[in-house]
Amino acid sequence: MNLIDILSQAFTLPFMWRAAIVLGALALAAGLIGVFVNLRGLEFMSDGLTHAVFPGVAAGFVFAGQGGVVIGAILAAALATVVLTLLSRRRVTSDAAIAIILTTMFSVGVIIVSRSHDVTASLEQLLFGHLFTVTTTEVITTALVCAIALALVLVTLRGQVFSSFDERGAAASGYGTLGLTLILNVAIACVVVAASIAVGNLLVLAVLIVPGAISRMWSRGLGGLFAGALIFALVAAALGLLGSFTVSVGADVAVPGGAAIAVVFVAGYMLSLLLRALVRDTSRSVEA
Amino acid sequence: MTETRLLNLNDVAFAYDGDVALDHVTMHIDPGQAVALIGPNGSGKSTMLKGVLGVIPLVHGEMTVFRPKKGRGQSGRIGYLPQDDDIDADFPITLRQVVMMGRYRRLGLFRFPAPDDRQAVADALEVTGLSSRANHRFGTLSGGQQQRGLLARAMATKPSLLLLDEPFNALDQPNRDALITTLNDLKARGVGILLTTHDLDLAREVCDSVLLVNGTQIAFGAREEVLTLANLQQAFRDVQVEVDEHTVVLPGHEH
Repeated sequence: MNLIDILSQAFTLPFMWRAAIVLGALALAAGLIGVFVNLRGLEFMSDGLTHAVFPGVAAGFVFAGQGGVVIGAILAAALATVVLTLLSRRRVTSDAAIAIILTTMFSVGVIIVSRSHDVTASLEQLLFGHLFTVTTTEVITTALVCAIALALVLVTLRGQVFSSFDERGAAASGYGTLGLTLILNVAIACVVVAASIAVGNLLVLAVLIVPGAISRMWSRGLGGLFAGALIFALVAAALGLLGSFTVSVGADVAVPGGAAIAVVFVAGYMLSLLLRALVRDTSRSVEA
Repeated sequence: MTETRLLNLNDVAFAYDGDVALDHVTMHIDPGQAVALIGPNGSGKSTMLKGVLGVIPLVHGEMTVFRPKKGRGQSGRIGYLPQDDDIDADFPITLRQVVMMGRYRRLGLFRFPAPDDRQAVADALEVTGLSSRANHRFGTLSGGQQQRGLLARAMATKPSLLLLDEPFNALDQPNRDALITTLNDLKARGVGILLTTHDLDLAREVCDSVLLVNGTQIAFGAREEVLTLANLQQAFRDVQVEVDEHTVVLPGHEH
């Protein structure tokens, strides 16, 4: 079978459609929200959230099977978001707060999972996702969670931009900055939950952080920043999906979808770094 | 009389997390009046601005801040120029987009900028002499240009009251002169100004009144009445103050 055959065959398969929908929703949400993760330097907090979500995912899985995963994840994410946001507002430095929560929650997750009968299989699913075996229910939940994340940030977009640039200035012009931070963190938590299903808890960060980081390297203004992140996220997700399918079918080597996608995202980042080093700062000084 | 006042404070105290940072402030600003807020480092100058903005709480006394009637897009009529070190200079945003932030509150959630919004931004860029830089990435501008860009943002809100935190920092001589001209123009148009500065000469060129603080109010009133040797010595206990007929030098601060 050649490449064209493989690719044309791909979308005759329902599981490929389900994977594509999940990834499309995730790429849109992660692309937009990842921009703010980058602008506000929330990478470590996002990492903290992925770990905090893990025990929720695990508990949901243990108590209610596959269907309990999303509910468990959302509950854990909501709790962790509020705690992290409030802690980082107090005098506790946010890194210390995150590090403590991160390890506590993750160990709780491991303990919960170890109570399960089918430890290895469930752990693997939770950590690395199961892109090619998502159920229709999971497709709907993922799309819904992504839509909520997108809506939260789109409705507060101007405040989020202002507040990321200059929080005190935003407060001065009448924005409630604590509310904006909380909304953004809830949106990040939604993306983490959605991504845990598709690409897995450990690979969430690639999808959430890389598009914003790449786009920031290249854009001069806000338009390019958002457009660049969204386009990169969509293209990289599509490449990862088709790539892992092609290799799995064509070369008969089973490649996990989530890992393939993470690899494409990270490779894109490396490539962007390399190009940036070659094209030194021309885009930043060009007259418009 | 007080109805037309932009700002009126009566024995006010502001606090961070319950610790009073500045107290016994009784002052006011009328339209077209500029007040210099002067005091040593850590004397509560920034606290005062943040208190007026409502970012930190008032714990004693009464404050009336001019606000137009509550309504759509009307709440942001105080222009604020933060100290430039509060800003993320590596942010991918053009100068024009930064200045447009001054219109965000009027735009609300979804409305796209209308011609009058674009005009307000263009005017603010023009007045601050930055029109040719509008499409440059903010982080590539010089310190002085960034400072003026943030002033343009404050002006784009078409404020009735401007709060400026150390507006003359990081400015070279031509930029200082340009800023002084701009501020005097704004005063002539009835804008009230409250600015913090270390530089008494510059304060003199813009401000009619002075509020002298050091954790508490030392004096408020017309410039000549407040800037006396006795008052300055009280405010700047820890630094040497020299006063001659025309200049007051505060050693330890950059000029």
